[in-house]
Amino acid sequence: MAEAMKQTVASMLKGIERYNPDNLPTLERYVEIQSRENAYDLEANLAVLKLYQFNPQFFNIDITCQILLKALTNFPHTDFILCKCLLNERQLAEEPINQIMYLGDILEQCDFQIFWKRVHSMPELTQRITGFLDSIRKFVCHVVGITYQRIDRVHLAELLGDVDDVTLKHWVKKYGWKEEGALVFISNQDENIKTKNINEKIDFDNVGAIMASCR
Amino acid sequence: MYSSDDYEQGYSRDYDYNYDTDYGGHTGDPTADSDYSRQHFKMPELVVKFLKYFCECVRDRQVFELQNLYEGTWPKLTEEYFEKRPWPEETDVTAHVKNEPIFLILYKELYFRHIYARIQGGPTLEQRFNSFYNYCDLFNYILSEAEPVPLELPELWLWEIVDEFVYQFQSFAQYRARLQKKTAQELEQLNSSNKVWNVLCVLNVLHSLVEKSNIKQQLEVFATGAESDSVAGEFGRHNLYKMLGYFSLVGLLRLHSLLGDYYQAIKVLENIEVHKKSQFAHVPACQISTSYYVGFAYMMMRRYSDAIRTFSSILLYIQRTKQLFATKSYQHDQINKQTDQMYHLLAICLVLHPQCIDESIQQTLREKNYHEKMYKMQYGDLQEFENCFVYACPKFLSPCPPGTDSIPDDFSKEAINHQTTVFMDEVQQQRMLPTIRSYLKLYTTLPISKLATFMAQNQRNNDGKWDLDKETQSLIIHLLCFKHKMKNIVWSKGASGLDGNFHSGSELDFYIDNDMIHIADTKVAHRYGDFFIRKILKFEDLNRKLHLIKM
Repeated sequence: MAEAMKQTVASMLKGIERYNPDNLPTLERYVEIQSRENAYDLEANLAVLKLYQFNPQFFNIDITCQILLKALTNFPHTDFILCKCLLNERQLAEEPINQIMYLGDILEQCDFQIFWKRVHSMPELTQRITGFLDSIRKFVCHVVGITYQRIDRVHLAELLGDVDDVTLKHWVKKYGWKEEGALVFISNQDENIKTKNINEKIDFDNVGAIMASCR
Repeated sequence: MYSSDDYEQGYSRDYDYNYDTDYGGHTGDPTADSDYSRQHFKMPELVVKFLKYFCECVRDRQVFELQNLYEGTWPKLTEEYFEKRPWPEETDVTAHVKNEPIFLILYKELYFRHIYARIQGGPTLEQRFNSFYNYCDLFNYILSEAEPVPLELPELWLWEIVDEFVYQFQSFAQYRARLQKKTAQELEQLNSSNKVWNVLCVLNVLHSLVEKSNIKQQLEVFATGAESDSVAGEFGRHNLYKMLGYFSLVGLLRLHSLLGDYYQAIKVLENIEVHKKSQFAHVPACQISTSYYVGFAYMMMRRYSDAIRTFSSILLYIQRTKQLFATKSYQHDQINKQTDQMYHLLAICLVLHPQCIDESIQQTLREKNYHEKMYKMQYGDLQEFENCFVYACPKFLSPCPPGTDSIPDDFSKEAINHQTTVFMDEVQQQRMLPTIRSYLKLYTTLPISKLATFMAQNQRNNDGKWDLDKETQSLIIHLLCFKHKMKNIVWSKGASGLDGNFHSGSELDFYIDNDMIHIADTKVAHRYGDFFIRKILKFEDLNRKLHLIKM
């Protein structure tokens, strides 16, 4: 369904057509489909927020929440910031947008323990977004993947939201990590993260011109 | 018809006409003055001559002459006769030039622009409206004909038409949002003509110019190295349409940025490589403006490497070509301001994302007040971040004006406050990173617990008592945040500036192996090449001068 709509929607985003409020119902339906089918189309969602920005009378808080939650699922990309910039102070303060803003803020700070606690305390906020929790786990794995060479197994389980052993094994396998007793081996970081030395290289060609001019 | 040389002579010859004595009695009040001058203004002979010749050049499509008139004579006459007063009214002009509608539209474009720029108190509501209608006339003329219109204008003028159009929209939106000083009559008028300077109308004009010129297709073909004429179409082959199309893309970049839509801002420039010289890159002001908005959008998207690359490359260009546009004062002010803003933005980016940049840009940042500001920001002075941001950011707009019946308040700051908040949230999230970075810089390996101890001691508010476990836990969160924030999308190739891959471009990086931090720093050896080249050139210069001295 989402795939099928992608083309239709793309034609609605071309040129000046992007600002046509008549497209709003279709675009809003597309947001709902994305939530349901775990699909994602940032450009279409930004166009919805843009139409709200130009036509405040059409502002739909429910759709806006879905767009923001979908943006959270696309961390580490900065889609969430892009969405935030198209809203205004008053809208951000509205319930439950302010809750989502808080979630975004702690996720940006990588305080995953608090994030999970908060999400579990209000399941109704995120449960409409299919695959929401796993998308966040993907982001956790991204951060772990760029930070660690080896990580404590218990700590990893905590970061993923206090997952049980089976789930932990699933994520470890998915990312090709290896369990080594109490630790999980992520990857050989010292191959990528090395001290760089930048030295000036001057070869003859570089100085040829100036030498020629100084006769 | 006379050539511009004759004109210059005429200019000095006729200099002593009775301008001063004619206007000795003006009141100083701009509105009274304009009535006064309307009655008494006798157009100086020189201005009449100028207008006649100007009109002929427009009609005969003398682009080269028009460029001289536009860049040279107009500013000169403005300074001479119209420093503090508007140029003559349309009716006064028509008395002297033959009926040439397009010339009058172009004249009025300049006339209103001059009012916006120079007349104290700014344009009146009526003038804002009339300027808008004049732009409508101009764009209707260009866009609605069945074939390309017989008009050619210098590129700088075309750029300034589009740029000014967006500027006047911005100015109107700000004016509109300040409800507190409006009279009932003004509010009434604003209410009844809400189509004037409407955001959709402005977008529509820019999009129409883009489409008419096929500029997107042209740029796409141009990017592959082929000749873009093949896809330009009937209109796009004409320089007028092609350049208006290109400048409209930059206009859209600016407009999207003003509305906080950074994604569209960058996207609209697809197939334009901002740093590359091309057939479109002849207008410095346009290039500088492009880089400013692109760099800013990148910064907001936390693409610091891209922002830093964009800013340093244009700042380097400005450093090298400064003398070229130093002579044109009205452009110069604008360029100077934007340059200073870009140095501020670059300073912000470098504090958040330390990275090696070109030595001569680094040199400027070490000088002047930039150094102190960077120092303060590094030490977590949030106010300094905010000050720099507010000074250097675009003048953001709310696309929807407040209703004329809302409380008579100043709404013009709402948009800028919001964008500032978004940016400061980001800074706030990163507030611990500079401290961590400064410790990591001292080591190649460092146990997490040891760093946690340092961090705890650094915070003086805990009366000596602290819990190592707790400190370690919160440190690990900050370390994860460090890695997350320093790994960003960086453009390397592709048609769109939105493309890119995740990279850690900052000069300090690390990884954690269980409970040990391994640190990788970037060490830059001293550079001698530039230094010696400068000295060699200086010596050569000195030597040459010595030879020229005749004793």
